[in-house]
Amino acid sequence: MDDQMLVTHAFDARAKRREERRDFFKMLGGAAAVGGAAFVMAQSGEAQAQSGPTDADILNFALNLEYLEAQFYYFAAFGSGLPNSILTGTGTQGAVTGGRQVSFSDTLVAQYAREIAADERAHVEFLRTALGSAAVAQPAIDISASANGAFSSAARAAGLIGAGASFDPYASDENFLLGAFIFEDVGVTAYKGAAPLLSSKTFLEAAAGILAVEAYHAAIVRTTLYAKGIATPSAQLIQATDAISNARDSLDGTTDLDQGLTPLSSNPNASNIAPLDANGIAYSRSAGQTLNIVYLNNAQVNGGGFFPNGVNGNIRASAAN
Amino acid sequence: MHNDPILQVLEACDQRRNARREFMRFAGGAAVATAGASVLAACSDSGGGFITPGPTPTPTPTATTALTDADVLNFALNLEYLEAQFYSFAATGAGLPNSSLTGTGTQGAVTGGRKVTFTDPLVERYAREIAADEIAHVNFLRTALGSSAVAQPAIDIGVTSTSAFSNAARAAGLIGAGAAFDVYATDENFLLGAFIFEDVGVTAYKGAVGFVSNKTFLEAAAGIHAAEAYHAGLVRTVLYRKGVATPSLIDATEAISTARDSLDGSSDLDQGIRATGSGNATASNIVPTDGSGIAFSRTPGQVLNIVYLDRTAKTAGGFFPNGVNGTIRSSASN
Repeated sequence: MDDQMLVTHAFDARAKRREERRDFFKMLGGAAAVGGAAFVMAQSGEAQAQSGPTDADILNFALNLEYLEAQFYYFAAFGSGLPNSILTGTGTQGAVTGGRQVSFSDTLVAQYAREIAADERAHVEFLRTALGSAAVAQPAIDISASANGAFSSAARAAGLIGAGASFDPYASDENFLLGAFIFEDVGVTAYKGAAPLLSSKTFLEAAAGILAVEAYHAAIVRTTLYAKGIATPSAQLIQATDAISNARDSLDGTTDLDQGLTPLSSNPNASNIAPLDANGIAYSRSAGQTLNIVYLNNAQVNGGGFFPNGVNGNIRASAAN
Repeated sequence: MHNDPILQVLEACDQRRNARREFMRFAGGAAVATAGASVLAACSDSGGGFITPGPTPTPTPTATTALTDADVLNFALNLEYLEAQFYSFAATGAGLPNSSLTGTGTQGAVTGGRKVTFTDPLVERYAREIAADEIAHVNFLRTALGSSAVAQPAIDIGVTSTSAFSNAARAAGLIGAGAAFDVYATDENFLLGAFIFEDVGVTAYKGAVGFVSNKTFLEAAAGIHAAEAYHAGLVRTVLYRKGVATPSLIDATEAISTARDSLDGSSDLDQGIRATGSGNATASNIVPTDGSGIAFSRTPGQVLNIVYLDRTAKTAGGFFPNGVNGTIRSSASN
């Protein structure tokens, strides 16, 4: 198939960068402090720095991400998207481009897809209920497999495919898992970055609960990719996760906030399912950094990538990196 | 107006005071009351002045029961000692160095623990990864707490017929009277031993995160919370895959989940990994969530119900024979 993984790059530079990052965290004396500092820097660079985000702004930002995840998993698992009744709201409602049911070979991967799809839809509905009439509409979403679609652009940025080629996340179990991999850790870091900004304790605890679910999802995807990667080295799945991680890191600024599945040199005989800093703590991304990744742009822009017209709501701009 | 992180924290304190009043209105247990008090105490430190709770029908915490962020982090540290020792022994055959175990309160020893006889090399790699993460959590919390860090309490991770693991397995109906459950004997038993802890850690951090007032600690707690969810997702995914060939593993997770639910009160806060639906609609259940796709919470008292293996209000038992160290010590009365 034309979207066969063709990973031929070496990733030595990647490992070196991970070690540099660990030293960076040690120097600053703790990941939490680094996360906080990263947010302050990102905020100061944003156009809307005059007014800080309200809880509704933050939840609406999350809702945009949940629309994206839910549509991707829903199409992959069931061949259809979310009903229109849970896509309406403020801002300009957009359509989904692409998306189709995966022809699963591994029964368990199909079962994982159905579970995750249901969870992500539940997140959409929970956030819409919490926001009430303030909920944003689904913006335009690109989950297509065309050569100029967001998935192909992301895969090309990772070096998984060449110029003009397409990456089809619906073509195989493995491609679906890699497509999921593109999102899942990002969701974890986005919720972790947003959690301390929420004023309402109720929303904070809900956000922590969604954060945990995204981490469970990410673990399903990473554990399955790792086992398949070990079982079939020629598929280069582990290298592909490193390449995607590398691409994400090239988008969201100079700090390394991401890890693929290659074991860390500090623990070479262990797996690396959970991407954590040297303190065993998950990373944070600011809203702007999260938008860098889903817009597939390291500059400050208001749309692109998986959201061709941008997200809806007050938090719209990616960070300037 | 919210650009200043300090202002954000202060506003969060105001909000949490109000939220706490609502929370206390329907929360019954003593452990919950003390955890709620920690918010007040911490917020009063940064906000200048203790705010007396409003006239609600709730117990009013006194100054002597008011807790700090340090109390909450120390509670977490006790749990991390337990997890780190279990995984460290399972992965390497040795526990943590004594230099990582000292502190306030009575330091205790680890009973039992040995290297697992791994058959699946991937399970061994998973054990090494999780061990390193849990040790990192211990060291991180100790560094954050400084001289106020609690010492490791006595921990039972042995496999005799009267050990905590065996009692937990017996409560779940996995073994009969007088039998022992050896979590180090096989890949599968190790994974079930890990299963006993991991989801509990997730719910514990989720329950605690709302009670941490310091923004830096809050974000760190959220990050450890995520790490525990990654671990739990890993363990559950591997058990689910192995459960295809060995369906009794699926049954065992359901039994352990049911046993946990019988300890922590009447609310269902726990799920095994049995699939839902059938045929082409079959879905896995790797992620234990409520109907909104959100992970469950446990109060510190409920967490202690599980690690003490006792649904009543106690200050010791199960995996902590002499109880945990620190201010939060009592399980909930269920």
